[in-house]
Amino acid sequence: MKTIALIIVIITGSFLLYATVDFPSWGDPQSPASTHVSPRYIERTLEETSVPNVVTAVLADYRGFDTLFETTVIFAAGVACFFLLRAFGKERPATGLYRHLLTGVTVRIKGSAGLPDDMEEFERIDTLWTPYDPIVKVMCQRLIPFIQLFALYVIAHGHHSPGGGFQGGVILGASLILLSISHNFRIALRRMGERLDALLCALGVAIYAGTGALCLLLGANFLDYSALAGILHVDPVTARSHGILIVEIGVGIAVMATMVLIYNNLASAGKFDEGL
Amino acid sequence: MDLIVGFLILFGFLFFTGGAVGILRFPDFYSRLHPAGKLDTMGVLLSASALALYNLHPFSLANLLTSFKIVLIVIFVFLASPTATHAIVDAGMRAGLSPWKKGR
Repeated sequence: MKTIALIIVIITGSFLLYATVDFPSWGDPQSPASTHVSPRYIERTLEETSVPNVVTAVLADYRGFDTLFETTVIFAAGVACFFLLRAFGKERPATGLYRHLLTGVTVRIKGSAGLPDDMEEFERIDTLWTPYDPIVKVMCQRLIPFIQLFALYVIAHGHHSPGGGFQGGVILGASLILLSISHNFRIALRRMGERLDALLCALGVAIYAGTGALCLLLGANFLDYSALAGILHVDPVTARSHGILIVEIGVGIAVMATMVLIYNNLASAGKFDEGL
Repeated sequence: MDLIVGFLILFGFLFFTGGAVGILRFPDFYSRLHPAGKLDTMGVLLSASALALYNLHPFSLANLLTSFKIVLIVIFVFLASPTATHAIVDAGMRAGLSPWKKGR
């Protein structure tokens, strides 16, 4: 069986290698992409979409379908991770460790009963708990707001500089994961619960697809943002710029929520109880 | 002005070189993190502040803004890099890696 697979791989690979011979050489100014497609984008992007960053305009406007399904792929990855890893059923481990906040005494409670999570005197701690380092904890606490601010900047500034929904969403998701690593899994989960996370995951894709559908309802093609001019009270060219921004926000939300969803499922082994 | 920028960049490269040599030459995980954490931070600090200073040369508001952003990067690296090194060392201790001792 393995031999057959190897033969198929070698045959397919050699066909692919054979096909690369027909490619234009790298950076060839006479290649079809450089003679027709790129100059068109470079010359007309600013007047058609009023977006200075050509990459963003191509990504979210000219090739909006591609990006829509890229976002859908990320969403599907998050959902797949959820269905593969999430362990429903028995929520609590066999023993739970609780620390009395005033005295520092740790209590071990056997059995699945445990104490309720929202108590003022006791704090739930992980079974493999080691004292957290105050340096890491305090530094992350101070840095996380700035990281999130920078993520919003990257999302919003995708029109003018490198950036956009994917990059900003990843930074935003990483800041939430940093909170989970530096503090506690449950503190991060309290900030962004599983239900909210899954909802945002779908909402991001829904914003993107909904913008496209709205254009369809307003009588233009799917993802033709110039149709939004009537709603936004701007001229069609600026409407395309605003449409790109709306779509980027959707991408950012979807990427952020998916990153957190995948991390939560992996770090807690699907139990959503104790993290790393 | 250019002289100061040149000196800063030169010293930054000196720290980077020291860091690279240290990572290659030190015997174990923890001592290698020492140059990685300290010297690289200092190298970034010096060379990035040199860039911020050089960028100010034809003085304008836009250039000042760019220099300010570079200074923000320097501050972020200055805070984040030692913290990250500290966290890695902490993780190494928790995972049970004992430090290197001479003659073992």
